[in-house]
Amino acid sequence: MKKTLYEFYNYFPFLKEVIKRDFKKKYYKSILGVAWSMLSPLLMMIVMTIVFSTLFNRTIPHYPIYLFTGNLIFAFVFEGATHCMGCIVGNAGLINKMNIPNYFFCISSIIQSFITLLLSFIPYFIVCVITGVPLNAYMLILPLDFALVFVFTLGLGMFLCAYATFLRDLNYLFQVIRRAWMYITPIFYPIDIVPEPFRFLWDLNPVYIYIKIARDLAIDATLPSEKMLIVGTCYSLLMLGLGIVTFKEKEDRFFLYL
Amino acid sequence: MSEKKVVPVFYDESGNIISSSQTMTKNSSDASSKENTSRIITPPRKINEDISIDVNDVSIMFNLSKNREEGVKEYFVNFIKGKLRYDEFWALRNISFQVKKGDSLALIGRNGSGKSTLLKAIAGIIRPTRGSIKVQGSIAPLIEISGGFDRSLSARENIFLAGTMHGHTRKYMQAKFDEIVEFAEIGKFIDVPLKNFSSGMVSRLGFAIATCVSADVVIADEVLSVGDARFRIKSEERISKLLSGGTTFLLVSHSTGAVKKLCKKAAWIEKGQLKELGPASIVCDHYTQFIRSMPVRAAAAKERRSVSE
Repeated sequence: MKKTLYEFYNYFPFLKEVIKRDFKKKYYKSILGVAWSMLSPLLMMIVMTIVFSTLFNRTIPHYPIYLFTGNLIFAFVFEGATHCMGCIVGNAGLINKMNIPNYFFCISSIIQSFITLLLSFIPYFIVCVITGVPLNAYMLILPLDFALVFVFTLGLGMFLCAYATFLRDLNYLFQVIRRAWMYITPIFYPIDIVPEPFRFLWDLNPVYIYIKIARDLAIDATLPSEKMLIVGTCYSLLMLGLGIVTFKEKEDRFFLYL
Repeated sequence: MSEKKVVPVFYDESGNIISSSQTMTKNSSDASSKENTSRIITPPRKINEDISIDVNDVSIMFNLSKNREEGVKEYFVNFIKGKLRYDEFWALRNISFQVKKGDSLALIGRNGSGKSTLLKAIAGIIRPTRGSIKVQGSIAPLIEISGGFDRSLSARENIFLAGTMHGHTRKYMQAKFDEIVEFAEIGKFIDVPLKNFSSGMVSRLGFAIATCVSADVVIADEVLSVGDARFRIKSEERISKLLSGGTTFLLVSHSTGAVKKLCKKAAWIEKGQLKELGPASIVCDHYTQFIRSMPVRAAAAKERRSVSE
């Protein structure tokens, strides 16, 4: 433990450089560059609003923002985890040459997605103003929700990364899971269409919990229920713990598979 | 572990053979019984203050997948049964030696004998399958240095990336920046992406970054063969300067000339086992004799003849 902290402190400048490098490389040679972080979720929201508005527009108030909130958090979790899965293999050149903390690459890839999430809130608030969602003080609590999602995603990413380094097939499988997960998470449909007896299953979905917290704060301007906050926090911490333990255990054998 | 065990020969300063089998016999019996003992440090050996690198009975195994065309179904069935078969390949077997502080040791041996693997294990990149390695103080590994670069970034960005990778702060690298650029002779290409560099420029930059450090232990893998003849002289000078301050030096090289010039001692590794350890000149001579005695030339000549016919 002490050794890990010492190592983290020693290599902290390297972590910063890796984050910078990944950020630069993300939009390398694209004309709009970082603006895509704001544009793509906005365009996605517009497309989905057009497609689904006839279905759900009447039952869900402020449908564009409802959709936007869900999409942002969902995309962050799964994009972050996807990038994180490939980060050890992608940085094999460095990992094979230097004795550096491997988990730095995981942190960096999650932070890249997190930056996208934060930047998306610029168009988010613009859409709020345009569609007439009143800006309220509860929105200031949103970063807390993001912190929970960040911790959860980091744990998930590290967990998956530990296995994906040995079994590359996991990357493809995960894309299928992502698609399935998207349908079982109420992103574009209301929770009401799920029959009452099964709804408790939906409430177990960690991604949905984080989305619900954000929607409560931003759209309904209410505090989320305590139960949800507690369950959400537990999910985050458990996932992070699982991720770290798995990663640390597998880490020693990474070099055999790079 | 079918190949026969090589008992290493140790020489002292004057070239006399010192008996050496004490560490070897002890380990040979229990080597196969324990699967993964990398964390368990078997016989507690006394480590003196002046020992810089302590390599204790290190073995490293790689799995070479057999990759026979069995089809996905069979692969999956075997996977479930846990019967995926690999060829075990022992890159290193029961290597033990110690390097004193301020000493310089060269690892020599033929291609694929495990020199680089051992170096990586000492640098902490690879964890040994068995045995333990202890290094006192900070390590500066100069292992295929240019490999750590990102080719789409400029030289300037790469200097900071690679520098912090060695555990330096950005501030330290800023202070060393001009020195690195000057030594690597990058000049006006400083803001050009590395992919537009010539391979010599890339390796010169790598060498300059890696050697701007002051570490207790410097580990170098074939870095001296970087750049043209003039740069090689410069880099050898730099290495000797680096070593003057009581630094422990570990070098992998195929050039026995460089080994004799830079290192006091040499270890000869043959097929993953330590064969000889002693003063550089003696071990190098034995190694050269061994290479000469091998039927490589005859075989090559024969091949050439058959091609020409």
